[in-house]
Amino acid sequence: MASKTFDKDTMLDLTVNMVPLVIILFFVVGFSVFNPFGFESLASGLQYGILIGSFVLLAALTYLSGKAIAGSEKTDTVYLPGQATVPGATPLHGEHEDAAAEIEESADAEAVESAEGTA
Amino acid sequence: MEVNGQLVLTVLMGLFLIAVAAWLARVENWRSYTPLAGAGAVGSTEQYVSEEKPSGVIRWLTTVDHKDIGILYGAYGLIAFVVGGLMVVVMRLELADPASTLISNTFYNSLLTSHGITMLFLFGTPIIAAFSNYFIPLLIGADDMAFPRINAIAFWLLPPAALLIWAGFFPIPDVIPAQTAWTMYTPLSAGVGSGNQMNAGVDLMLLGLHLSGVSATMGAINFIATIFTERNEKVSWANLDIFSWTILTQSGLILFAFPLLGSAILMLLLDRNFDTMFFAVEGGAILWQHLFWFFGHPEVYILVLPPMGLVSLILPRFAGRRLFGFKFVVYSTLAIGVLSFGVWAHHMFATGMDPRLRASFMAVSMAIAIPSAVKTFNWITTMWNGKIRLTTPMLFCIGFVSNFIIGGVTGVFLASIPVDLVLHDTYYVVGHFHYIVMGAIAFAGFAGLYYWFPIYTGRMYQTTLGKWHFWLSMVGTNLTFFVMVLLGYGGMPRRYATYLPEFATLHQIATVGALILFVAQVIFVWNFVQSWLEGPKVEDGDPWDLADDDLVTSEWHWFDRKLQTAIADGGEEEAELATDGGERIDDSQSTSDVSSDGGDPVAETDATSDE
Repeated sequence: MASKTFDKDTMLDLTVNMVPLVIILFFVVGFSVFNPFGFESLASGLQYGILIGSFVLLAALTYLSGKAIAGSEKTDTVYLPGQATVPGATPLHGEHEDAAAEIEESADAEAVESAEGTA
Repeated sequence: MEVNGQLVLTVLMGLFLIAVAAWLARVENWRSYTPLAGAGAVGSTEQYVSEEKPSGVIRWLTTVDHKDIGILYGAYGLIAFVVGGLMVVVMRLELADPASTLISNTFYNSLLTSHGITMLFLFGTPIIAAFSNYFIPLLIGADDMAFPRINAIAFWLLPPAALLIWAGFFPIPDVIPAQTAWTMYTPLSAGVGSGNQMNAGVDLMLLGLHLSGVSATMGAINFIATIFTERNEKVSWANLDIFSWTILTQSGLILFAFPLLGSAILMLLLDRNFDTMFFAVEGGAILWQHLFWFFGHPEVYILVLPPMGLVSLILPRFAGRRLFGFKFVVYSTLAIGVLSFGVWAHHMFATGMDPRLRASFMAVSMAIAIPSAVKTFNWITTMWNGKIRLTTPMLFCIGFVSNFIIGGVTGVFLASIPVDLVLHDTYYVVGHFHYIVMGAIAFAGFAGLYYWFPIYTGRMYQTTLGKWHFWLSMVGTNLTFFVMVLLGYGGMPRRYATYLPEFATLHQIATVGALILFVAQVIFVWNFVQSWLEGPKVEDGDPWDLADDDLVTSEWHWFDRKLQTAIADGGEEEAELATDGGERIDDSQSTSDVSSDGGDPVAETDATSDE
């Protein structure tokens, strides 16, 4: 299920957060290899703590938000953002044909059909 | 004798408050009160707007309707904007001359402090809350906020907060305004030394600031609960609009940042009044800076993320296409939210802290530039080959992008330690962050005010004045703040009422720019007030013709429905029609039957077109 959620499109969307993660990682490695100020347990601990803490929190939030958004794309009808409650709004089926096929078999099929009917 | 006098005043004030409470309890039947939309006016003779809603002043004092509270926030924010703006006009006039001529140096310091706090806490946060209160429930299909009464309480904490923050300017004996700057660095703000900052004016300001923080935190909890639990079942995470995403992220930041500010402020108050010595010991000054900036840097994003959301929502509507890379904008918003808590000490590079620690804060500051830049590219790409309509809200959106690029790029340089050590505490920093707070945040606020003007007033603003407002604001902003960047390169330090004559020319240009900005805002206020009272009534639920490009969002649909179900003045079917919240009419009728409000019909091109 997890690999289905994080498909190619979702991973592409998440690249936007990969870039700052890579930048932080670059500095973690950089400070380890080139460290003109030496190692001191408290200062160095804080130095890496700031970087690694930011890295972990960003990675975690990226994962959770990606899972929530991509997951709901798979299970719910997708509209243009802000249009879900507008009568007659066209669902974005072209981008999620596979998901739509699954939805039709699910309990939400009726809701999808009514939305299509108004389009 | 003096103590007795104070006691009498306190008792009188207490009796007055009890009388107000008793009066409110008498005039309103609280049990019957439920929030519904409707209109009412000050001085109206009718007791109720609708069956469940009082009219006149009582409506505004007792409302828990998210739209009414949004309007209250907006009015409050704009009044604070006027106060903060007038403060800085006086400061810029003083700076037209190198010597101290117009006002004293201490009064300049007072204005500087209050301008910063007013603009950030009394204008910035509330004007965002105005949009979010009014439109988030409409955008996500909720009936109201999750906690309507907490919503009202959060707003009503703000007027006393403003009075406390400005108390030093009132004619109260022995109370003078705070002169600590908005950063309130100790030991100055702790009242240490031979200065005058032990004055009660600083205590009142701190209490006011704390109150505004409590208000913001209550609002944030409400928005998180609303967006998580009150969404229409069709509004999944994948369907959530970008403005709601930015408000959700902002609320998360507020939840983690503002309580820390509150704690630090209480510690400072204890230091000032009970000699607790939190910030008096060795390292106390640095402790304050760490505590303050752990709040202060997220505060920057608390202020800028929702305006980014506004631009992301509005700009595509006038580019005739969807926002390019919508999910890039969502994920980068969340990334900014997280990373904003790992950059606070880049405000403290010059304090002499450990270089290893400094290097890490520089690294995260570099990283946070990426999600911000990503959004910029998304906005530009959305406009690329788009069907651009240069309406006033669109102009402000484009102005936002332009100013944000300059403000952002100057900020990236400051994130670099060697550059920061040269430019720290100069006008370069002032120029940089004013490009963001005025050039970007305020511009997005104006874009929102113009874009949704038809919804919350039912009328259209004067388009020519709107464009004058934009162009004068754009010229004024760039003239004032680009010159500040140059002043910083020249070594002009911040926060001084006087300066060396060599800086006179650039300072005078900045003052001219500020006066242009002042004229622009006068035009805005005139246009805003006059159009609200007398502007042509909007009879089309889609005044921006968003349906042509299939870009109508929920709040416009709500507005359309409201227009069509409104009670017509003198109409025959008056008794049959329900106000908003009444029986729903079927779609076929709603698309063809536009109700009249009895006013003069206005040609659509005049009333609604802004091209």
